[in-house]
Amino acid sequence: MSIVLGYDESPGAKRALTMAITIAKTFDEPLVLVYGVAPPGGLGEEFTSHEAALAEMAKSALDHAVEEASAAEVETRVEVRPEKPAQALLTSADAHDARVIVVGTWGESPLRGAMLGSTPHKLLHLSSRPILCVPAAE
Amino acid sequence: MRRRYEIATSQAEPATELKHGAISFVDALVIGLAATSPAYSLAAVIGPIVALVGVFAPGVLLASFVPMALIASAFYYLNKVDQDCGTTFSWVTRAMGPWAGWLGGWAITMTGVLVVGSLADVGVKFAMLTFDIDPYAEGRQPLVIALSLLLVLVLTAICVVGTEASAKLQNALIVVQVGSLLVFAAVAIFRVITDDSSLDAMNPSLSWMNPFGEGGAALTGGLLLGVFAYWGWESSVNLTEETTDSASAPGLAGVWSTFILLVTYISVAFAIVAYAGTAYLRDNKDEEEAIFAILSTEVLGGWDWILMLSVSTAAIASTQTTIIPASRTALSMARRHALPSVFGTIHPRFRTPHVSTWAVAAIAGVWYVVVSLISENALFDSLTALSLLIAFYYALTGIACAVYYRRHLLDNAKNLILIGIGPVVGSGLLGWLLVESIGDQADPENSYSGQSWFGVGPPLVIGLFIFVVGIVLMVTWRIKDGRYWRERPGVADPAVVRGDKAPAGTKGVDR
Repeated sequence: MSIVLGYDESPGAKRALTMAITIAKTFDEPLVLVYGVAPPGGLGEEFTSHEAALAEMAKSALDHAVEEASAAEVETRVEVRPEKPAQALLTSADAHDARVIVVGTWGESPLRGAMLGSTPHKLLHLSSRPILCVPAAE
Repeated sequence: MRRRYEIATSQAEPATELKHGAISFVDALVIGLAATSPAYSLAAVIGPIVALVGVFAPGVLLASFVPMALIASAFYYLNKVDQDCGTTFSWVTRAMGPWAGWLGGWAITMTGVLVVGSLADVGVKFAMLTFDIDPYAEGRQPLVIALSLLLVLVLTAICVVGTEASAKLQNALIVVQVGSLLVFAAVAIFRVITDDSSLDAMNPSLSWMNPFGEGGAALTGGLLLGVFAYWGWESSVNLTEETTDSASAPGLAGVWSTFILLVTYISVAFAIVAYAGTAYLRDNKDEEEAIFAILSTEVLGGWDWILMLSVSTAAIASTQTTIIPASRTALSMARRHALPSVFGTIHPRFRTPHVSTWAVAAIAGVWYVVVSLISENALFDSLTALSLLIAFYYALTGIACAVYYRRHLLDNAKNLILIGIGPVVGSGLLGWLLVESIGDQADPENSYSGQSWFGVGPPLVIGLFIFVVGIVLMVTWRIKDGRYWRERPGVADPAVVRGDKAPAGTKGVDR
């Protein structure tokens, strides 16, 4: 089994990273860092440029995360998927038999989360595995 | 510790490609129709076209389809070798070098930017008409402008946040739009035939299909607006790529959507001319912009709100689907150092190119307000100016196609016709239209409003202004940052053309 973490550079994700590292260490299981690079807004012109820009962001974000995890001596794996974030997490979770999916949250109201299409909100409804939502530090 | 990056391949099909056989007939049909947004296009151009060419409106609408079909072939073949990366900006740069490519990218971005204002304008006006508020009444203009700006602001915010409207909802709306247009046309023609017209009806005649009936400046003006009406149609052509067997669902749907589009445009044009008669249309020349709304009330009576509502939703939905590609073209240009890198910034949380999106909205908003305030017929003047830009970048793309494929044109007859002669003839037609229109528009008498800016027609001033600004920006950026100008033109990869190799595209992300 493994611990799957949805990671970007948002403050919420940083706290989620710390939590995920702790869990991975506790269970002595590998940590899978997932980043979905499919742009929001669906198909359209110049889709590829948008995706490439997201992939660059993913690389720099994940580099930092991998550094932190390796400092804590946790086995780390990185997955950049050509899918939207929630779907990318679900696919990776299945591929690595995730014990839990860890994501950072923004403390949005439920209505706002539903309207903006928040990733934790989608995961809670779609996942068959446990989800751990880590709020951003106040 | 293992540390590696990989692009997960468990889902073999990349998300950017429609899966073979994955789209149904209805999906494909809807995509083909949605690309041109027929309800909005008709509402925007039918009045001015009828004003220009009278009973020959159906003929002009049919004739303007010809160059579009030829250019669509260029889009199809360019998309085949340079998948998804691109549009005119990327293709023209590859085929003809950075200078031409930059101007093409500028034209395509500006068309996107400039149409947003008029989309919002039509969306707001027809929404008001739905609720029986006359947007053309004296003193209402500031309200319309304010509401349109608010609409642009809200839709841009939605684009930045990256919320996606339900695809299913959009599909349903498109079907309702086309359906209500056809019902409108059918009811109008039925009432003409049964002598039940509330106006001075004329019996439809096949001679209305003659695009040359009115001749001269009216013809070029009408054709230019016709080009605007079909603008976007080329994206539906790419549907046929989803299947090599064109008899199967998606390929057939591509053909069907084109057919439905043509029938809708031509029958609505027929219906309007037949129902109202030229005398009425001439007497109401001042109502050009509103003629579609007035006639839908005349024809459908108490049910006119359905048509108004579908035009309004079409325009509002298109506003959003126009902002996204325009901001992505800017993003693409920035990533190749053809624009300042700030336009390539991605919002860390929403993952959208928020700087270029807001820039698009800001320019669109300023443009809309300025044109509304100084022009007597803002919508018409911007649409004609937009059509000049569209004709320019379509013509450029047609030539780029033949140039990029130049080593394969003589491979077989199909290549020669579809990749070489077709697109070049299309470009020639659009180029001719461009030159003729510039000549015609130089005389303010020929612009719809007859208004004169600096002694020439407003659309020409607008079009030239955009080009001059573009050239100034291009030269300035060339002096500041020459990296993009190091790109050299090339030719289509022979292996991809023969189909031995998949096009370089979205399969992986550079590591």
